Amino acid sequence: MTLLDIHQAEIETILARYASKRSAVLPLLYLAQDTYGYLTDEAIREVATILDLPPTDVFEVVGFYTLFYNRPVGTWVLQVCDDVPCCFCGAEELIAALKHSLGINEEETTPDGMFTLQRVKCLAACDRAPVLQANLDYVYDVTPDRVDTLLNNLRERAAEARKRGVSGRFAEDYEFTRDGRLVQIERFSPYRPREFAGEASPPPVTPPPAVAPEADSGIDRPETRKASPL
Amino acid sequence: MGLTEHIVMRELDIPDISDFAVYRRHGGWEAYRYALTEKTPADIVQMVKDSGLRGRGGAGFPTGVKWGFLPKGVYPRYLLCNCDESEPGTFNNHQIIDKNPHQLIEGVALSAYAIEANVAYIYMRGEFAAAARTLERAIAQAYEAGFLGKNILGTGFDLDIYVHRGAGAYICGEETALMESLEGKIGQPRLKPPFPAVAGLYGKPTIINNVETLANVPRIVEKGVAWYRSHGTEKSPGTKCFSLSGHVNRPGNYELPFGVPLRELIESPEYGGGMKGGRPVKIIIPGGASAPWLTADHLDIPLDYESLAAAGSMLGSGGVIVLNDTVSAPYVAYKMDEFFKHESCGKCTPCREGTHWLVRTLHRMVEEGHATAADIDTLHSIYRQMAGNCFCLLGESAVMPIKSALQLFPHEFEALVKRSSSRNGHQIPLIVRH
Repeated sequence: MTLLDIHQAEIETILARYASKRSAVLPLLYLAQDTYGYLTDEAIREVATILDLPPTDVFEVVGFYTLFYNRPVGTWVLQVCDDVPCCFCGAEELIAALKHSLGINEEETTPDGMFTLQRVKCLAACDRAPVLQANLDYVYDVTPDRVDTLLNNLRERAAEARKRGVSGRFAEDYEFTRDGRLVQIERFSPYRPREFAGEASPPPVTPPPAVAPEADSGIDRPETRKASPL
Repeated sequence: MGLTEHIVMRELDIPDISDFAVYRRHGGWEAYRYALTEKTPADIVQMVKDSGLRGRGGAGFPTGVKWGFLPKGVYPRYLLCNCDESEPGTFNNHQIIDKNPHQLIEGVALSAYAIEANVAYIYMRGEFAAAARTLERAIAQAYEAGFLGKNILGTGFDLDIYVHRGAGAYICGEETALMESLEGKIGQPRLKPPFPAVAGLYGKPTIINNVETLANVPRIVEKGVAWYRSHGTEKSPGTKCFSLSGHVNRPGNYELPFGVPLRELIESPEYGGGMKGGRPVKIIIPGGASAPWLTADHLDIPLDYESLAAAGSMLGSGGVIVLNDTVSAPYVAYKMDEFFKHESCGKCTPCREGTHWLVRTLHRMVEEGHATAADIDTLHSIYRQMAGNCFCLLGESAVMPIKSALQLFPHEFEALVKRSSSRNGHQIPLIVRH
């Protein structure tokens, strides 16, 4: 089965978005990566064939972007942000705890093929540090004492992760609650069909005044971060 | 001065606002419907010009003026929304999208109408995978409601909006690198001119705006120029979503009118809630990693483009990192430049080599404890060779952390040298390239 056989409809949808076929290289590489687990040389050539590109051009793209893996990676790729300000908010401690629990170093994969650990640059969630992404699912507020809870949860969800792949095409976000439970952040309420079918223009409603974030005791994280208005 | 009104983060507290019907019930998509049925594209461009809206991505360039650069009568045109947010300290875009995607989509649609583009791409960094899904659902809802697609609201206007995910490269936030990436190439910047407005995506006229910029547009159209200009300052109208992080009690995104003093953002119980443990402020990086540093002496500066520029820094992306007296300035510079080294695309030598040698030198001084007096001269020499010589702003940005650290805290570098010479003599080990 080739990539085109497995995902024909999706590939056609993707190609239709762009004036040039080459533009589809990133989405198709994501697709190939999730289909084969990582980007083998054959997979990269397959993408090149679909897009009528010289394989070199696609190899170059794979080498340039950090979210493409041209070597086998674990079922879960754990990416910890270690930039300023995360490095002052527990990122180094988190990396140390992960290395200890997993028995591996950065850029290594556990012998059972379950976890790959990476340091990455800014994940744009500085207010929820220490933060990591597991297969591009955000996990917020991962203090070192929560590492084992996180790893156990990820092990339980390994089958699901293998099905979804490492490219985040079905990503969800998670956070730790104050009492240390790992919960999925509700993405949005169930989709409801639109309610004003045929209604030309419902009158604009004045939005209620913005609620100021609750005053805070000023105690250290993570409780205080909860009060962030987002 | 307190917050008068939210413009961008206005409806984040409404449950299910990410759903089309809820957003619509709260007056959403109304500005777009009004514009399409009662205003010409030129009217909208004029409105945005008059509003004084400035690009929120970092440069602060007037949005309406940028739109005005499009050559007349040349089609197709493209609108690109830049959501490649990934500069340390900046984290508002994906949260705006995740919580209120329709506001952005309405802004994109409205702006596409204004510049007469029939295709718009929202370029999201690859890591925002979940937010991209939120956005895609919202776009599908807008299609279903007839607000996107062919012959929208019977006006003859066609518009398609697509989400395009990058794959992990900060440089793709540079507008020409973004276009290269969208064309399926590696994200290296292009030479300017030609500017994107003349020859951008696929060589066609292209406008690139930041998420927060476009999220402002529906409100400007809905409430009018005078209302918009009643927020903020004369030269920086409107509000800004400041991303506050570091050693503050309440890190988070706070939308404030331009002109609020830095101190209020950090200390007000409504916003930052003061410094953790009451420790003193040491370093303030007011506009994302590429902004020159400020210190506690600058707490009373109003947060707007002009005031920060006058203080020798910049408002940039509005990512305010506040660090206390426990941090080492050389270490902060090292971590910041490590970011730029990692994200350097490798196209031009000053940036590729400069960031590499900055980090290599700083790593030895800071992490390995082997510093010599000559290292300080070397650091000065490296950033001077980079400044003004890089192909794009990434390399120029990498100069800022080290330059700021050397200027503001020279004694800390000297202390590193002293500590090192008292311990190790002049022995400098070989550094393994990593």
